[in-house]
Amino acid sequence: MQPAERRLSLLVTVLAFALPVLFVLVPLAIFLGYSFFSVDQGTIVYGLSLGNYVRFFTDPIFLPVFWNTIVLCISVAIICILLAYPAAYFLTTLEGRWRYALLMLLLVPLLMSYVIKIYAIRSILGLNGFLNKALVAVGILQQPSTLFVFNMNAILLTLTLLLIPFAILPIFLSLERIPQVLLRASDDLGASGLQTFLRITLPLSLPGVASAASFVFVLAIGDFLTPQMVGGISGFTFGRILYSQFGTAYNWPFGAALSVALAVVVIAAILIGERFGRNRGTSI
Amino acid sequence: MGLKRLFLRMATIGLGIGLMTSAALAANLRVLAWDGYADPDWVKDFTAATGIGVDVVFIGSDDEIWAKIKGSEGQDFDVFAVNTAQLQRYIKADLVSPIDITKLANQKEVLPRFRDLSQVSGDTKDGKVYGIPFCFDSIGLIYDTDKVKPAPTSMSVLWDPAYKGKVLAYDNGEHNFSFTALTLGYKDPFNLNEEQMAAVKAKLVELKRNVLSFYTTADEAQQIYQNNDVALIWANYGQQQVKALQKIGAHVAYVNPSEGALAWLDNWVISKGVRDNAAAEKWIDFMLSKKVSGELSERTGFGNTVTETGSAGGNDKLVWLNNVEDPLKRSDMWNEVKATP
Repeated sequence: MQPAERRLSLLVTVLAFALPVLFVLVPLAIFLGYSFFSVDQGTIVYGLSLGNYVRFFTDPIFLPVFWNTIVLCISVAIICILLAYPAAYFLTTLEGRWRYALLMLLLVPLLMSYVIKIYAIRSILGLNGFLNKALVAVGILQQPSTLFVFNMNAILLTLTLLLIPFAILPIFLSLERIPQVLLRASDDLGASGLQTFLRITLPLSLPGVASAASFVFVLAIGDFLTPQMVGGISGFTFGRILYSQFGTAYNWPFGAALSVALAVVVIAAILIGERFGRNRGTSI
Repeated sequence: MGLKRLFLRMATIGLGIGLMTSAALAANLRVLAWDGYADPDWVKDFTAATGIGVDVVFIGSDDEIWAKIKGSEGQDFDVFAVNTAQLQRYIKADLVSPIDITKLANQKEVLPRFRDLSQVSGDTKDGKVYGIPFCFDSIGLIYDTDKVKPAPTSMSVLWDPAYKGKVLAYDNGEHNFSFTALTLGYKDPFNLNEEQMAAVKAKLVELKRNVLSFYTTADEAQQIYQNNDVALIWANYGQQQVKALQKIGAHVAYVNPSEGALAWLDNWVISKGVRDNAAAEKWIDFMLSKKVSGELSERTGFGNTVTETGSAGGNDKLVWLNNVEDPLKRSDMWNEVKATP
């Protein structure tokens, strides 16, 4: 290698490491640091203490909300998978151009602003909204119901709708990667369509399902705007508490501590997703 | 040829702009205000009348004003607009100058309730006047005239089980504690003791059970109103919000509750770093003229201190917003209210 070339490759290497360190690791470390500070009379006190964490574990409001939020986001992930799997499977049965055209169509919602989508969904779910009008017109409901908006159901529905594209994509990719020869071999050996699906396709697509689930879960648990806008009075989530620490309360240190608690769960979810993804993936 | 002329014209315009800005830098009055408080036609009239040029910078939040004034220790602006709740913080930090009201001829002509500034909470300190109020609005109650009968007179209607699930409240602990304290009849809603805090909290948990949702922006409230069965709205955005709702054809009316409505009151203040005190006084006096004050109300829907407007009559009891005893505690307790099942 020429010296100039070597210098260039060294520079590229340094940049490749420096950028994530500078823009990801350093901010995270600062955040972690903040979580040990405290606030007095609206100004941050830069003395180390575990007070924020003690408060998180002892105050009766945080843990129940935290737990409920985790359950909510797991439900969102499960529903997303149940809806996305058939859609992704259907896509892989299509031939050539149609397959990708339809995939693009399913991903189009990602191009729209997230806030506009929440607004739109909220007007659909409202008492005078499309959903209620349709259900009443069909005769399923006698009168409009408030079951779909300003509660936990509304958050569940809205998050599911918003995050489904993130579930479809990894599942589709893992299904697409399954070698066609395996399916044909299974057919040749006399397996039925269902048997082939259960014993070949499903196990081989599980890595995609695992990463889809962790994607959806992580995105859902970090969201505060959806619960804020459609959650109403009973849909109080951890994201909303966290948000209030930075907005109205000006308690950044406690907010940082709550974020650390959230980060632990998120990292766990990513690790679990990754572990399942890899194990199955390498066993082919 | 055409191209050459175009270049020439561009150069002339460029020179013109350059000259204008350098002229502006000379000794113009530097004003910091919210949009709607220093409209171009008023600025033009002011310059025509006094010969003083004006540079206006608009801001969008209380925090932004603080950042700009504190950031330059008051040196970057001569006169700015701030509400009474915020003003004490500026006085404490020594960022504003006392105002000699004998220099303000129009201040003698304002509505009676704004004449004695020592009676307006937050405007004075140690007998000195620091803020000249000019614009206000209440945080009242919007009700749907088809659904709410008879017309409500108190915020206590928000707790009425007849309107369960039809109430829109605002997502802000500070204000919610204050207005509930007023509803409970406490004298000073901004300084609550432990016992009062607990009572207000319990009352807010009750309110929550009657509420459809908590909104944050005026647009949001409007959208929820359109798609749901809403009868009552706690109107953080006052007249502005009423006007917007009426524009879309909603049958709504506005009332300031009899126990007292929270209200904000914006003041003109002179910064510590004022270059020409007389010019700043002239600006404030000009803004207090009948013409400008009247136009301000016409354009924004806010009340003004000079002419009576629909925003809040002389008989309405307005409680000017003030700093609360412990914002952090109110915010935490508001989270507790929201987390209560």
